[in-house]
Formats: sequence, structure tokens, C-alpha cells
Amino acid sequence: MNFITENLLTILVLLPVIGAVGVIVHQMFWQQESHLKWLTFTLTLVNFLISLLLLTNQGKAAASGFFFEKNVPWISAINTNYHVGVDGLSLWLVILTTFIMPISVVSTWHAVEKRPVAFYAFLLLLEGAMIGVFVSLDLLVFYLFFEASLVPMFFLIGIWGGENRIYAAVKFFIFTALGSLLMLAAIIALYYVHAGVNGVGTFDFVVLMKSMELGQLSFTGPLATTGTLLFLAFALAFAIKVPLFPFHTWLPDAHTEAPTAGSVILAAVLLKMGTYGLMRFNFTLFPEASREFAPLFIILAIIGIIYGALVAMVQPDVKRLVAYSSVAHMGFVILGMFSFTEWGMQGALYQMLNHGVSTGALFLLVGFIYERRHTREISEFGGLANVMPIYATIFVITAMSSVGLPFLNGFVGEFLIMVGMWKSTILGITASTNWNYVATMLAGTGVIFAAVYLLWMIQRVFFGTVTNDKNKKLADLSWREIGLIAPLMFLMVFMGVYPRPFLDAAKDSVNAIQKRVMHQAGGEVDHATATENKTPVIESHE
Amino acid sequence: MNTFFLAELLPPDTNIPIILPELVVAFAGIVVMVYDSFFPKDRVTSGLISLLGLVVSGVLLATMWSVETLGATSWNGMIAHDNLRLGFSFVFLLVSAMTILISTVWVEREDVPVGEYHALLMFATFGMMLMASGNDLVIIFLGLETLSIATYVMAGLRRGDLKSNESAMKYFILGSFASAFLLYGMALVYGATGSTNLTQIADNVVNPNFPALLLIGGGMMVVGFGFKVATVPFHIWTPDVYEGAPAPVTGFMAAGPKAAAFASFIRVFVLGFPFIAGVSASSYLHESWMTALTVMAILSMTIGNLAAIMQNNVKRMLAYSSIAHAGYALVGFIGAGAAKPGQAQDAAIASVAFYMLTYAVTNLGAFAVISLLAQKNDRRAEFEDYNGIGFKSPVLAFTLSLFMLSLLGLPLTAGFMGKVLVFRPALEAGNTLLTVLVVVAVVNTAISAYYYLRLIVVMFFRERTTEWIDPKIPVGLAAALLIAVVGVFYLGIFSNGIIEKFSQSRSTVGAQLR
Repeated sequence: MNFITENLLTILVLLPVIGAVGVIVHQMFWQQESHLKWLTFTLTLVNFLISLLLLTNQGKAAASGFFFEKNVPWISAINTNYHVGVDGLSLWLVILTTFIMPISVVSTWHAVEKRPVAFYAFLLLLEGAMIGVFVSLDLLVFYLFFEASLVPMFFLIGIWGGENRIYAAVKFFIFTALGSLLMLAAIIALYYVHAGVNGVGTFDFVVLMKSMELGQLSFTGPLATTGTLLFLAFALAFAIKVPLFPFHTWLPDAHTEAPTAGSVILAAVLLKMGTYGLMRFNFTLFPEASREFAPLFIILAIIGIIYGALVAMVQPDVKRLVAYSSVAHMGFVILGMFSFTEWGMQGALYQMLNHGVSTGALFLLVGFIYERRHTREISEFGGLANVMPIYATIFVITAMSSVGLPFLNGFVGEFLIMVGMWKSTILGITASTNWNYVATMLAGTGVIFAAVYLLWMIQRVFFGTVTNDKNKKLADLSWREIGLIAPLMFLMVFMGVYPRPFLDAAKDSVNAIQKRVMHQAGGEVDHATATENKTPVIESHE
Repeated sequence: MNTFFLAELLPPDTNIPIILPELVVAFAGIVVMVYDSFFPKDRVTSGLISLLGLVVSGVLLATMWSVETLGATSWNGMIAHDNLRLGFSFVFLLVSAMTILISTVWVEREDVPVGEYHALLMFATFGMMLMASGNDLVIIFLGLETLSIATYVMAGLRRGDLKSNESAMKYFILGSFASAFLLYGMALVYGATGSTNLTQIADNVVNPNFPALLLIGGGMMVVGFGFKVATVPFHIWTPDVYEGAPAPVTGFMAAGPKAAAFASFIRVFVLGFPFIAGVSASSYLHESWMTALTVMAILSMTIGNLAAIMQNNVKRMLAYSSIAHAGYALVGFIGAGAAKPGQAQDAAIASVAFYMLTYAVTNLGAFAVISLLAQKNDRRAEFEDYNGIGFKSPVLAFTLSLFMLSLLGLPLTAGFMGKVLVFRPALEAGNTLLTVLVVVAVVNTAISAYYYLRLIVVMFFRERTTEWIDPKIPVGLAAALLIAVVGVFYLGIFSNGIIEKFSQSRSTVGAQLR
């Protein structure tokens, strides 16, 4: 037990990787393809259970604020270390990853006929890489996992995807790689910037933060331009990943063409790498540039919210509709983050989790119907509620959670984001107009649009009479499918009525980032603003 | 008594042990040649002798690496014994050994005169090693010619094939042309500085006889070396030669001679034409060659990658990719030029050597797979021929994919560490031009994703319409593949020891300058 808690994060990363090797070895020696899904399912489930140990918060390192820290030299010639740790920000994202994985494995139970060995191996490799992204505290190691997660996904889309899979897979890869390679250049440059002020170069995020606290490293004065450029290089990588309008064009293709498990993971976890990266690295390392560019990000986020919703409205394909809804939802997350208020940033984190749960569930549900009919065209359906009542009920609840109906999870996140934006001061306040109010109101229309496109789609797919003969004999959900979606449904309701445990665990870390980005100049906290912002977020909306 | 007698006969400052690794390789080549003339039917032994020679030479290198004599010169300053030499020589030995292993299929399939081939390979390796260790323009030129003549023949070994003949002819004519430029450049530099010894040249560039002569000489050497490392605009020969030459030889040419040319190129320019603050002639020279190389690097990366996208032949694609990789390596080279003499510069030079190591391992691995799949006369080397073989020949397809990802520079593979290391010195300099250079390199890497992935796409995402027989992997090739796969991961994950070794000590000329 001691060994496990000491190396918890390493185990979480390596277990799936070793599992992937295990899957291949198993196939080589026993050649039982039917075992593979059980093997993979067990592995992911065990990983999920292990990840729950994170909630015990053992071994908290007082100095850095990270739990379960591990710092081992990796390539000392270039001073890079295998440095991992979690805090409130990454904690839930890691658990979200491990939680989604068994579900997506079960979702493929009958769907993957073609080359199951490679499929499960890639799925497991992907899990390892994703967890690695959220736990690494060394920038080079972070980059390593960030890029490594591309390859399994590339194969998942390319081999098991739909009609247009090759185009989608290559587009996905190149878009993301372009952004992240610029980030690599920025990471190396940052190393030398630190060497310039401190004498020793470093990739270590914690060391960089420390130098900033001590006032050694500060992107003001002569380094201001450097800071801006580095900020932009990091931000581009993450904005593509999120994806922020106008970098979103890879997403509808990738989501639509990916197999169900792939879409679920893409939506639930991979997109969060972008928002996580912005919050973790951009805000903390480049607070000045973050504030300077916040208006731009807010404008792009609002465009994304409205544009995503409008485009989703006219999609003939259910999966594409859900994909575009992701653009809108991630716009909300960006908006909340760049409000630089505790409400907004906590809301953003909460909305990341919500989006993972709700959109993940929506992709699963679309997958269920696709397995039955092998089409996703809205016009092919109609009146499904008559033949598949359970499915229809679950779909409507999930859609409501995505829209943000009170008592479901989406509401909490969106509400916090709106409040945060409303209270924000990041967009200027002129005598006649408070632009923060304007931004909030514009974003608010997105909620209405979300209701429009989802409800309209539900109406066309589920209600009315069964028009298409092929739909008359569709079977309702099996127990496997219900069992698959049940944990997600539970979370939607639970996170909607009782968000406190989630927010409490994240509060300290998020607030620390908020303080840094708003007040940081050598770690000094502006007391007037600090007290103003002190009202804990939970009380504010309960 | 005995030693005294020797000292009388030989010119002073002899140091046989220091060039023993080179001598062992040359000796192995001679043994192979002699053996082959007595046993022309034996197709195995010559390879084994060559491998043995390479291993012995490698062991000698390794023992020399640990002694404290690094930084010394011998043979009257003609041979440098520093990390530039050791690191690159190590790369050449590896390249040669892997080429022999890869060639096992090919020499059988096409009935190549094995003994000649292996002897030529050994002499080429000897030439490459001389290029890395030569601290004198004459030695460097001798090494270059030994290498080139052997390579011209190797490119044309497939006598019955017109494409191979064309390749050899083109390589020979253009190569001689480039050698002439190089030689003329060397002569002019000699005229300007009064010496062919690089250490003395570095001392004399401060006050050359005719500054213009020095500049013209340097420019001509840029042309000559630029041709050998295949950088734009001196790259025109590359695609045709690479496509026409037999696949294992192409792999060798892309990895070995390119690295050798880089070794001399770096030694002559970084160490021979250093930046000396406040002296107009040498700083002007330094600035000129840095600018020229920056332009060449940007052109190589951009044109190499864009042209590679348009290729339909895998070998041709890899030829353009090798042009692009020369551009990436130049980034580290330019970084070395900008770095302060001493530890930073040594680290920068080591980064180029390490880059060539990663590139060699990856590229030879890729050519191992390609030459196995290619069949006689390399007929099967179009992208279409790879359609849907992914799950039909999983071992070959997955290893080839791994090499493609490493060439692309994905984390956990050798290519990634190589790229990180060559970008570092350029960013360390902190000047705008070099930062722009790195950004260009990075954007180019993203462009290159398109064609590297294309091979993966073709193999895994498309279906095969024609029949496919999974080729058997012979032992020699399997060994090469294993070395390459292990190498790619080892260099990508556990490269710490090698990087430290490569960048350990002070280089000859730099040390004396300080």
C-alpha cells in the first residue's frame, strides 16, 4: 500500500501502457480475441479504482502545493526531470480520464470487429498518455505526453473511423502538432530565459513558479515582449486543442469520423488538455500577457459559443451536431477562465468536467443508435420515443444536462461562469458601458441557442410518429448499455445538486492560480482586491 | 633502443594509437578485398570480417573516450582528438555496421559482388572517420575523396539497372564538381591564412593576407560542403541519386556521408573560422558564413519538406526528407557558431553529432524495411505498393511507422531528442534571427507530418486490393531492425548517458583559443 501511494501517479500512467503490451502479448500466445475486451476493461477499471486514492490527498508537499509528488532526474544532461504531481486542478481531470475509460471500453463491446488487439492496445496507450498530460510538472515531460496522446488517437480515427476517416485523422494530427511544436520551441526558450535571470535553466514548472514568486523571473520590463511571444506560442497550442474559434475546424471532422469510444474520449478528455494547459501554464507563467490578451480570448470564446450553436442547429447528422455543440461548450470554459474571477475559473473547471460527462454521454447515445441503424442522419429517424422509450428518456435527460437545466450538472458550471464574467473587470468599464456585462449577456444567448438546437433535434428524432419503417423494430437499450450510461446519469444529477465536494477539492488550487494571474508581480497580493474576491464560491450560489 | 630507432625513422609527433580506430577499419577493408579474391564464392565471411573490424574499431574508440587526452592534437596537429571526432566516428561505425546487416537481403537477391561491396563500404567508413578526425584541410579532403570514390561505385553497384547507372553517373559528375569547389576553396583559404592547419587558420583569420580571398575561399567551401550534406540550393542531385541507388546504399548515403560532411563542415567553420570580437576581418567572415548557412537552413527545410509532400516514391520522399533533415541539423550547427567557445559550443557541436546519430538509426531502420519490401531492382517502392499492408505484415509495418514517427520527431523516439538538442543552442543564443530559424524549423516539422503520416495512412488506413505475401525477415535484416527499434527508443528515453558522453569535453581548437 505504501508503495502504491508513493508512486501513485506513475502507476496510473504506466499501468495502461504495460496493459497495452499485455494485450499484445496475450494475443500472441493465447490468440483469444474475446478475452481482450475483458482484459482491457479490467485494466481500466483497476486504474479507475487506483485513481480514487488520489482523493485521500496523501503526501502533500507543502512547498509546491502538489500532492503525490515524484521528482526523478530523467535526462540530466539537459536538466529535465520526471516530475509529476497533482493538485486540485488536475485531480478531477485525472479521475475523469480514468472514469471515462472503462465506459468507453464497454461501449465498444460489440462494435469493434476489426483488429481488436490493436484497438485495445491503442486505447490503453492513449489512457496512459492522457493521464501523463495532467500530472506532469516538467514542461518537457508535459510536452512529451501531450504529443504522445496524438498517435493512438490518430490510429483510432484512421483505422476504426467512418467514411472520411483518413482526412479527419490527418487533419487532427497536423493541426494539433503544429500548435504543440511551437510550444516546444517556447518551452526550450523558457529554459534559457530562466537561465538568463537565474543562472540555471529549467523545465520544471514548480521551479519556474518559485522563481516568479521570488521575483527573479518576471515577464515585465525588458522581458515583456519575450513573455508575450512565449504566451502566444503556448496559447496557440492549447487554443487548437480546446478548440477555440477559429482553430476549431479539425474538431467536427475528428469527432464525427472517430469510432464511438474515440469520440467519447476526444470530447471528455482530449479537449480538456487545452483548457487545462491554458489555466496551468499560461495563467501561471505569463500573468501579464494573459491579462493583456484576455479580451481577445473572450471575444473568440463568445464567437465560438454563438457560432458553434448556430452551426450545430443546421447539422443533418446527430454526431456532427454534438461535435459542434462541443465548440460552444468549450467556448464557455474559455470565457469562465479568462474572466479571472474565482467564480468564473471554478466554473470553468466544473464545466470541463460537465462537458466530459454530458458530451461523453451524448456521443455514447449516438453510438447506440448508430450500432442499430448504421446511420446518424436526423432525417432517417422520427418518433423513436415510441419504440425506444428508455433510450429516449435517457437522451432527453442528457441533452438537458448539456443545455444547463437547473439540478443538472451543466447548470452549475454555466451559472458560475456567467456570474464570474459578470463580476469580472477584465474587459474595460467605460462610463456608458460595462463590457463585462455585454460579454455575459452575449454568452447567455448561447444557452438559449443550445436549448434550441438540442431540443429541435430531439423533437425530430424522438417525437411524433415513426415515419421510417426501418425504425419500427428497433430494440431498446440492453442492460449493458444501460449499465454503461447509468454512472454518467448519476453524475449528471449528483454534480447538479451537490457540487460542493468537487469544487471544494479544486478551490485552493484554482484560487491560487486566480491570485497569480490577477495580482502577481513577484507574488505580492493586492489586498484590496483580494478581500473583495474572498467570498468563497460555494456560498455565492447556494 | 628500439623506440629511439623508430623516432629516427619516422617524422616527429607520431601517434599510431590515436588513429588506430581508423587503421583497423582500413585494414579490415584490405583483408576483405584479399579474402574475396581467394574465395569469391563465399558470401558470408566478408561481411563478418567487416563487422568484426567495425566492432574492434568501436571498442578502441570507446576506450579512447574515457582517457584524459581529449582535446589534444597529434601528427603535427593534423589529427584532432576531441568529442567532435569521437561522437561522429561512433555514428559512422554504427551506420556501416547497420548497412552491412541491411544489405544481407539485397546482396543475395541481386547477386552483388559481396566482397567488393564490403571492401568499398570499409574504405568509405575509413574516409568518413578521417573527415571527422582531420584537423587539417588536406586530411579532410583526403578523407572526403576516399569516401566519395567508394560511394560513387556503391551507388552504381547494380550494373544491370539503368537507374542505378544514372544515379552513379550523376553522383560522380556532380560530386567531382563539388569536390573541385571545395579544393579550390581550401587553396584560397591557404593563400589567405598561410596554413592548412585549422588551429593555425583560426589564429590567422584575425589578420589574413587578403581578406577577400578568405571570404571567397570560405564561400567555395560552403558550396562544396553544402553539396555533400545535401542542402538547398546544392541539393539537386539528391533525389535522383537516392532513388536510383540500391535501397541499402541509399540508406547509407543519407546517414553516413552526410554526417561525415557535417563533421568536417563544423570543424572547418565553427572551429576554423571563429568569431573574435573587435576584429573586423574575422568577425565579418563569421557573420557571412552564419548568414549564408541560415539562409541555406531555411531553404533546405522548406523546400525539402514541400517537395517531399509531392513525391510518390518512398525512396524519393526520404531523399527530400534527408534534405530537410540536413536543414534541421544546420540549425544546431548555426547555434554552435553563435555559441561562446567552450562548454556551450561543445554542447552545441555535440547536439549535431547526436542529431546525426538519431537520424542515422531511424533512417537506416526505415531503409531496412524498404529494401526488404522493394524486391529486385527496387521495383516496389511506390506509395501505392504499401497500400493496406499494415495488418498483413504487422512487424514491418509497425516498425516502419515507428521510424516515420521518429523522423517526424515525436516524443519518446530518437527524433524528438535530436530535435530538442539542435533547437537548444539556437535558442540559447537568444538572437532574433536564430529564434526565427527555430520557428521555421518547427513549422516545417509540422509540414513534414503530412508526408511521414502518409506512409502510415497508406499502410494502415487503406485496404489492399492486390495480393500480398508477407516477406520473410532474414536474420541479418532482423538484427538491423532490432538495433534500429531499440536505438530509437533508447535514444528517445534513456539518452542521458550518450548526450553527456557526446558533450563531455573541450574541443581542440576551441580549447587552444581560450
